[in-house]
Amino acid sequence: MEKKIKPRGRISLAFASLRRNRFSMLCLWALSVLYGLAICADFVCPYGYQDEDRDFSYCPPTAIEFLDHGKLVRPFIYGRTLTFDAVHRRVYVNDYRQKYSLHFLTGGRLFGVDPPSRFYIWGADARGRDLFSRIWYGARISLSIGLLGVIISFVLGLLIGGIAGYYGGWVDNILMRLCEMFMMVPGFYLMLALRAAVPENFNSVQVYVSVVVILALIGWASLARIIRGMALSLRERDFVLVAKTLGVPDIIIIIKHILPQTISFSCATLMLTVSSYILAEAGLSMVGLGIQDPVPSWGNLLSDAMEIVPVIFAPWILLPGLFIFIAVMCFNVIGDALRDAFDPMFREGI
Amino acid sequence: MNSLLSINGLTVAVGPKILVDRVSFDVPQGKIVAVAGGSGSGKTTIGLSILRLLPTPLSVTQGSIIFEGRHLLDVPVREMQNCRGARIGMVFQEPLSAFDPLFTIGQQIDEVLAAHTELSKRERYKKVLETLLEVELPDPQRAYKSYPHQLSGGMRQRAMVAQAIVCGPSLIIADEPTSSLDVTLQVKIMELLGRLKKKDMSILLIAHDLGMISRVADEVIILCQGEIVEKGPVGQVMDRPQHGYTRELVMSAK
Repeated sequence: MEKKIKPRGRISLAFASLRRNRFSMLCLWALSVLYGLAICADFVCPYGYQDEDRDFSYCPPTAIEFLDHGKLVRPFIYGRTLTFDAVHRRVYVNDYRQKYSLHFLTGGRLFGVDPPSRFYIWGADARGRDLFSRIWYGARISLSIGLLGVIISFVLGLLIGGIAGYYGGWVDNILMRLCEMFMMVPGFYLMLALRAAVPENFNSVQVYVSVVVILALIGWASLARIIRGMALSLRERDFVLVAKTLGVPDIIIIIKHILPQTISFSCATLMLTVSSYILAEAGLSMVGLGIQDPVPSWGNLLSDAMEIVPVIFAPWILLPGLFIFIAVMCFNVIGDALRDAFDPMFREGI
Repeated sequence: MNSLLSINGLTVAVGPKILVDRVSFDVPQGKIVAVAGGSGSGKTTIGLSILRLLPTPLSVTQGSIIFEGRHLLDVPVREMQNCRGARIGMVFQEPLSAFDPLFTIGQQIDEVLAAHTELSKRERYKKVLETLLEVELPDPQRAYKSYPHQLSGGMRQRAMVAQAIVCGPSLIIADEPTSSLDVTLQVKIMELLGRLKKKDMSILLIAHDLGMISRVADEVIILCQGEIVEKGPVGQVMDRPQHGYTRELVMSAK
């Protein structure tokens, strides 16, 4: 029987190859879960990110009880009372007379308990805010800021690199010197300098936008340089000359015939850059220059953990770091896998 | 004589080195004029200088190119851009590298049409299919959706002719259109060019094989080291070559 062979584009081939890489698929799933939870934060989290209760300052993760006097009942938590021990440290003691049953899907939230008690899956911060909720609200910012920044710096980098490489000559010269001006300054100091240029009285949305722009401005230059090198060689290809002889406008030649040839490189770099931007945002916010409290981001959640004392008594405030680690690692693994997937030499048996 | 393209004293140089030396000839309306000569004789350079697409170190130092009454070397860049593809089409030697491997044949022909006309997407699609049929591609719909590597060499070459004529230019510059094809296909492509002539397109055929040229061309210009050594009607040049170099070429073609 004759089997019809359907031609496949290289993007579909690359994804087929990616799918065979178990670890990168795992990372892809992990990222989807992170993004999913971030998007659904309003539903998943029991509290809003500003919802505080100072009576529960640094309250440890709450234990969920299933057994009441040896009988299986619907899950509940005990009330806690705050006491101080001999060295004036906070200790929360379960009050076995108070029981608060967990209820699900009430008030538009996935789960929660009735006030006055509060339910902390992953503990509370200094102001008694739920860390679990703040991590997922923070994920909205930390995970989106990297993506937006990358999109902007890729548009900039691809276009500027493409134009510089395609035209060459003085255009190339000017654009590349501009790139070098950005690359000359070490990234973190450039970030600080750009942040210093942003007015103090910005509201949280304006700060968010300015952090995105700062991140975008750091990353585009190195990309533009590499794309420019590729464009320099690609513009000598016959199909570019043909497009020119047929009167196709230059900008369309750059966008349609030069830049798509760099897709395998760009895709992999895109993923790796997202992770570096997530780290950059975390760094900026941790030192207090990025997203400002009370709005949470993974970076400024970690700034609570910059002093040793809270970390000793409330180690759960390091949790946001774990999520930064997971997100960054996932993007890196996927980026590496994509680079291999686009390289026919690494592709086996498809 | 009603000439569509007339080149007068064209000189192309790179630094002090002269590549094309005071070349003059006319391409009359509806005729095929062939430029023949060995490698490095400056044939392709003439073709590219008509379109003003000479690679950077090369430049036209003297002469004029008049096409449809306009001095092509003096018109503004924008007008030149509108001229390329719309009024002058070009066909290249190597059809595989001439197409972008990432787009289908149809998309790439459509691109030329989109650059020069105001037609809607649907009208362009129709026009591309018509043109593919005109160059005798057996299954235009399939060819439209094929990537360059999926077509055979002959089909690709036809597709490239389609790309050059889709906007209905009055002049086609065919730079060695058959050199990468086998002999039977060469004849077929030449016949295709011959039919285009009947549709009132003029063709400037750049080639080295006088045997092929003599099948279709009306006039032939023999170029040697950037200079015209002989020109005239094909029959005359083939039968009574005057210059030594022409005799060599004629001998090798027989």
